[in-house]
Amino acid sequence: MTGEAVTELAAPAGPPKRLGGIAWHWRNNPKRELWFAWYSMIIFYNIFVIVFFIMTKTQPPAYPYMPDAQVVSWFGGHRGGLLIGFGIVFATAALTLPSTALIAYSIRRMSVSRAFAYSYLVIYSLSALPGMLLLCVVLSVAAMRPSRDPALIHWLFNFAFLSYVGTMGIFLIGSLVWMLAILLDKNRVLPKWFGYLNLCNALTEVVVSPAWIFHQGVLDWNGLISWWINMVVFGVYTSAFMMLLRTMIQREDFGDGPLPDLPKAPKKAPKAQPATLSSTAQ
Amino acid sequence: MSDITQAEQPEADTAKPARHIPGQPDMWVLVLFEALIFTAYFAVYLFHRSASSALFLRSQGYLNPWLGTLDTALLLTSSMFMLRCVQAARAGAVRAAMANAYLTAGLGVAFLIAKITEWILLVHDGHGFTSNEFFLYYFFLTGIHLLHLLIGFITLGVCIYQLRSPNRRSQEIVETCATYWHTVDLLWILIFSLLYVVR
Repeated sequence: MTGEAVTELAAPAGPPKRLGGIAWHWRNNPKRELWFAWYSMIIFYNIFVIVFFIMTKTQPPAYPYMPDAQVVSWFGGHRGGLLIGFGIVFATAALTLPSTALIAYSIRRMSVSRAFAYSYLVIYSLSALPGMLLLCVVLSVAAMRPSRDPALIHWLFNFAFLSYVGTMGIFLIGSLVWMLAILLDKNRVLPKWFGYLNLCNALTEVVVSPAWIFHQGVLDWNGLISWWINMVVFGVYTSAFMMLLRTMIQREDFGDGPLPDLPKAPKKAPKAQPATLSSTAQ
Repeated sequence: MSDITQAEQPEADTAKPARHIPGQPDMWVLVLFEALIFTAYFAVYLFHRSASSALFLRSQGYLNPWLGTLDTALLLTSSMFMLRCVQAARAGAVRAAMANAYLTAGLGVAFLIAKITEWILLVHDGHGFTSNEFFLYYFFLTGIHLLHLLIGFITLGVCIYQLRSPNRRSQEIVETCATYWHTVDLLWILIFSLLYVVR
């Protein structure tokens, strides 16, 4: 389908305003599935922040070196938040799938092998189970029956957070797959700088691995280096890909060549090209 | 020697050379971001160092300053060869550019061997990753730097791959790879200063 064809499809008579406009877009906008996936992503990350940072206070994770009694007390203090918060997560966790699918779509739109998109899709779909859902299940189990043996409650606490920390290696590989696809792509789907930002994000995932060794200090699972600095990097990375995927949808022409620029993009001054060794460079 | 395409040469001779950022501007996002991340690591290190200065000072005494200096000399020299590689590629001297890229990689391997040797010696003397707070930072900072070095070998591979065939030769990609390699060098100089020199 060409860009012109898409424009014709998108605006047969022009969308009415307000609520009627939403209904019109739902029926006529050829990008509705992409926008659905993008809004799912935005809604999911908002829920993620509210539930994990505010309601359950599982981000940043609680200190790993707490004794049994303190762990039981932590569950006692967060019981309501944990049960209600993770209830919300279980109801909305499926929103991660359209988000991952949209990223896989961005890779699929690139001039690279389909293997990149499929491997990304599989990696991230599977990692949501131990990286998020298992943590929620196990912490809910501990919060639901506070009268259990403190040693067992502590076991559940360690299991939940190690399950979360242990998926960082999967995210590392996922980031590298996306990076490689962006750097090899010739369709200009996403900018190269974001490919390099994927590398920065992947390197911070490596820094989490010492959390398996250290129970306190800057490298434990809520340490200054292994969690706080990494979370800043992850925040920048996530914000960047949300904005870039939005722009990608706006630019999408459903073709298979390079993505066109946005029509109203500000004109850039001609960029000085570095000297090439060959006219057939790159 | 000169597989270079001359198509753009006459214009380049007459016109004033255009100023531009070396390599892909996108690579500088990585340089900036990595610089910020390492600045955060260094700030955390210095904060904890000021809190336990006696321990850090005593532990620093177990490091071999000569090995650290050798590491620095190896990486600085490798950066010089990388610079010569870029200059040779700009001049169209592809064979010289490739020779310099191989020398850069060779010195990188020498750095890798020296660093691993230093780790083995320290661990053999009982100073491991979990020995104390100083060695935690020592192994963390040198370890994460070594990971950057390993990625640097991949970029050098890309550089050599680009130079190898006239069909894909790109000065921009050569410069992009060089930018990354110099970043690895710069990070090492800062790590060396903090771990070995600052008392």
